[in-house]
Amino acid sequence: MSTNDTAVPILSARGLHHSFGQTEALRGIDLDVHTGEVLAVTGPSGSGKSTLLHCLAGVLVPDGGSVTYRPAELAPMGISSLGEPKRARLRLTDFGFVFQFGQLLPELTAVDNVSIPLLLSGTRRPEAQRRSTELLERLGLEGIGAKLPGELSGGQAQRVAVARALVTSPAVLFADEPTGSLDSLASENVLTLMLDLVREAGTTVVMITHDARTAAYADREVIVRDGAIGAGYRVSA
Amino acid sequence: MNPGLLKLAVVGSRSAYGRLTGIAGGVAAGVCLLLLLWGGANGLSARDDRGAWLRETGSPSVAASPTEDPTTAGPGAQVPLTADTVLMEANPAEVFRDQLISRRDVAALGSTTVKIPGIGHPPEPGRYYASPALQRLIESTPRDELGDRFGSFAGTIDEAALPGPDSLIVVTGAPEADLRQNGRAFLVSDFTTNAYGGSAAAYNTVLSIGAIAVFFPVLLLISIVTGLGAAQRRERFATLRLIGASPQVVWRIAAVETSVPSLIGAVLGVGLAILLRPAAAQIPVNGTRMFAADLTTGWAAAVVVVAVVFAASALVAAHRTARAGIGPLGVTRAIHEKTPTMWRSMPLFAGLAAMIAAVLMIRVLKVRHWLESPLLIVGFLLILVGIVIIGPWLTRLASRIGLRQARSASAVIAASRMQQTPVATFRSVSGLVIAVFVVSVFAGGSSIIESTEVPPARPGLLQPTSLHATVNAGHTPAQAEDATRKARELSGILSATVGFGPGALSGPDAGPEIYLRAADAPGLGFEDVPATETVAVDASFLYDWTTQPLALSPAPAANLDGMVPVVIVLGTDGTPEAMDRARTLLNNSGVTAHSATSTLDAGLQSSTRLIQGLAVLAYLGMFVAIAIAGLSLAVATASAVLDRKRVLGLMRLMGMPVFVLRRIITREAAVPLLTVLLLSVGLGFLVAWLMVTFIDDTYQMTWPEPGYFMALGLSLLLALGAVTATFGLIRGTSPMTATRFE
Amino acid sequence: MNNSITLLGLLGREPSYGYDLKHSYDRYFGAGKALAFGQVYSTLARMVRDELIRALGEETGGGPDRKKYEITVAGQDRVREWLFTPDVPSESLQSNLFAKTVIALLLDDDADRLLDVQRSEHMARMRELTRLKKDADLLRVLVCDHGLFHIEADLRWIDLTSARLAQLKKELQSA
Repeated sequence: MSTNDTAVPILSARGLHHSFGQTEALRGIDLDVHTGEVLAVTGPSGSGKSTLLHCLAGVLVPDGGSVTYRPAELAPMGISSLGEPKRARLRLTDFGFVFQFGQLLPELTAVDNVSIPLLLSGTRRPEAQRRSTELLERLGLEGIGAKLPGELSGGQAQRVAVARALVTSPAVLFADEPTGSLDSLASENVLTLMLDLVREAGTTVVMITHDARTAAYADREVIVRDGAIGAGYRVSA
Repeated sequence: MNPGLLKLAVVGSRSAYGRLTGIAGGVAAGVCLLLLLWGGANGLSARDDRGAWLRETGSPSVAASPTEDPTTAGPGAQVPLTADTVLMEANPAEVFRDQLISRRDVAALGSTTVKIPGIGHPPEPGRYYASPALQRLIESTPRDELGDRFGSFAGTIDEAALPGPDSLIVVTGAPEADLRQNGRAFLVSDFTTNAYGGSAAAYNTVLSIGAIAVFFPVLLLISIVTGLGAAQRRERFATLRLIGASPQVVWRIAAVETSVPSLIGAVLGVGLAILLRPAAAQIPVNGTRMFAADLTTGWAAAVVVVAVVFAASALVAAHRTARAGIGPLGVTRAIHEKTPTMWRSMPLFAGLAAMIAAVLMIRVLKVRHWLESPLLIVGFLLILVGIVIIGPWLTRLASRIGLRQARSASAVIAASRMQQTPVATFRSVSGLVIAVFVVSVFAGGSSIIESTEVPPARPGLLQPTSLHATVNAGHTPAQAEDATRKARELSGILSATVGFGPGALSGPDAGPEIYLRAADAPGLGFEDVPATETVAVDASFLYDWTTQPLALSPAPAANLDGMVPVVIVLGTDGTPEAMDRARTLLNNSGVTAHSATSTLDAGLQSSTRLIQGLAVLAYLGMFVAIAIAGLSLAVATASAVLDRKRVLGLMRLMGMPVFVLRRIITREAAVPLLTVLLLSVGLGFLVAWLMVTFIDDTYQMTWPEPGYFMALGLSLLLALGAVTATFGLIRGTSPMTATRFE
Repeated sequence: MNNSITLLGLLGREPSYGYDLKHSYDRYFGAGKALAFGQVYSTLARMVRDELIRALGEETGGGPDRKKYEITVAGQDRVREWLFTPDVPSESLQSNLFAKTVIALLLDDDADRLLDVQRSEHMARMRELTRLKKDADLLRVLVCDHGLFHIEADLRWIDLTSARLAQLKKELQSA
């Protein structure tokens, strides 16, 4: 897709450092996420992938370094220097999240689960339900709106989670092992549906995975090892 | 079972010791309260049994008039005093300060064989036996305020005839002729031992219901503490299952590890109750403390309580663990709750039906049958249990309506959760709901004995600071004036008035009005005094239930000469000393027909001793219940937050602000609470009315006293506090990074 | 696997006799199929001819097993070029990549880098195959999947080996 030379960064991390107690999770990470790209973040377990994603998304404030949202624009936003309420607001309006599993509220129907981000940002419930149902249909989930998560298959539940992440039309979608608990076919299904929607809308994706076949769906891959971007590694495009 | 495995499973970690200590401590507190309350209930009836002789009314000392014609009915023939009877007059209004003294005036032949309880041979005229508490009072008070009323001290009344150490009882000896004078003395040959007369069965029923109501919250406490840390235990049990323990082994371990600390706690609780008994006896119930011995429940009761707590905790722990369905991979039946149906309303309606049936039998069929008491008790138990059972169903109904109406994210999440898990959601607030029900029952029950307000001092009404006594027939104006003259010499007595009439107020010649010298009128608080020498006021002036001011009317001056004194009214400065001096003087004057009374005394006279006593116990129980309920709500809310740690963390990560999470938690507590709270309050008062009606259908229930609303407010505050306390937990335990499975 | 360049890489450590060279080779790579002496000597002769190695002063006799060889600068460049040129991902790649890794460790060169370079090549191929799958018919998708899974297997080996490099190096050096 985009190359390093012409790409416009949407998220820019500089010199990220973060520790949990004695453990250094991130030790000096510089990374640009380009607008509209699908970026795979890979690396061994415990390498700091998730911590990097949490810092990029404004979930964690890094101990050192900065994360800037839309750095190329007139008013870039220093995510890492915002307070939690503002970061929460930003996550709600501009970011979407998909995780490995168990992210749906078990007591809510599929449609209500998808509606929650819309309700939180002030959309009226009938409108939120209409948009949620529509999105579920585009993800091939006609007629499951009234079901509870416990009544869905793993792949269906994961698609509901994707719908919830995308229902607010976020600028960046963060996915942490989005197909980690699915079999090959179901994960391929979820990934292609998700990426089709994302590419159509021009949404940027930051996707953590340890699975090469999943990473192969990305435009670009960075490897995190020991809290740093893989040394001497040629970022391929 | 392998003891090594048991040791590993039970005390495997340091937190396990905290848990076991929590169980033992909670059970100890519960058992201690249980025994003290049990003792208290026993003590109440023991107290009433000892005081039963004071209820003895005897037989008339005057034979019925042989002619039926009331106009010719003179004083009937006197029944003579014999060796096996005493003449006794119960004095209805012997008041000192704000306390009622039970006074019995007795006259007996020297050869009498009648034994007065706690005394033996009746006192000689002019001598008295007093309870120790009263005697201390007499000795510490100037004689003209109290001691002069009784004569000289002959001895104390034995504890076996005293309801409690604070009981004020006096038995005075009097000449037979004095007692015969007003015709209110009766002949007594022996003293009753029945404390409640005809309504003994009713009182026993009420006592049982009161005990159930007070014990239920305590049982709830024991049930809560034995469930401490259950969620955490489940994971440990799952590990045991994984390494090969069978379900039987797991529930046996659960039974042992809960019942052993329960047993230790229960034994500790028995010891604690023994230690605390003297302190508990200091709590005044219905105006008097208890004898510490009254609170003794006996070894049998203690053994029964310990055995029941031990067995119940073992059974409940085993049952809970078995029902949780712990497999090698953890809890298998956590999220699937059976949908509550309308059947859950059955126990409640059955209970109500039983209670209503019992009352209908009495009120409509006008029969009292052995069946009613069990009906009432079982009905009450069913209602208590029924509230806990119907709660989830109502919660589900409310949340279904709520979900349809929901607009905000927090409303949708909270309503959905309640609809899916109404049993778990309601469990959090069940303690509080029960507490409110119990409180309402007692507030309703005790509202009938609400003490009357202090009457205002208004012109045209008898002044609350004044004392009056009617004058017996046969006394001359000079004798009455003599008494008032003496009264005026005493300090604190501002006025002394004699009221006149055509005949003694209790006699057949009594007139409708009382005549006064106009000069005395201002002393009685009148402001508009007609400009005549003599004035008249309606006789209802003397009644303490008269609330409309009366006016004086002019009366011909000559009238007073042909009249007899009917009443003496002493106005005081309102100090207790002055009032007691006035009482003592009037009672000793020899002209009055009964003890001097003040309008303030009415509040001291009450015939509903038992309910009053129960109400005190109930307020104690209420406090315990509400405190426990608050605790259980906090524990339940906290574990509801902990159970959903991961999902709540994810919600925050998605950008859900913390205040939305708080609203979710608050709604999940508020909806079931408010849904069932109204029901609890309504049912509480209905049950109270049924019980009160059961005892005596002349009782009236009134608006509950402010204490009730304070208790309600306190419960809601506690609920608020319990929920707020978990807010800290939301911040602390929903770290947004807890999103992956560890 | 390219035998001659592997021998050249082994010579990169220190000058050695043909006889010793054969035994080194057999120890690291010859599990089950040892090199023949003749093959070693012909390869050495060819590399002398190409000036990748040279013989150090002749000793008594003058037979090939009496000669000690040393790598030239040109030879060293040849080895490094080989190390850091990724192979085209294919099922038979394994043994060559294995040889590269061992040689890099023996030469104290950057084995990490060579694995990363190879990994990158694999990922590029996987992305290509994944792109091909889009809008392709099912038959074509299955062919692509076959390739993807095989390359993925290599990738896993690469990831595992990266994780074990330090341990492997220690073992090789102590041998």
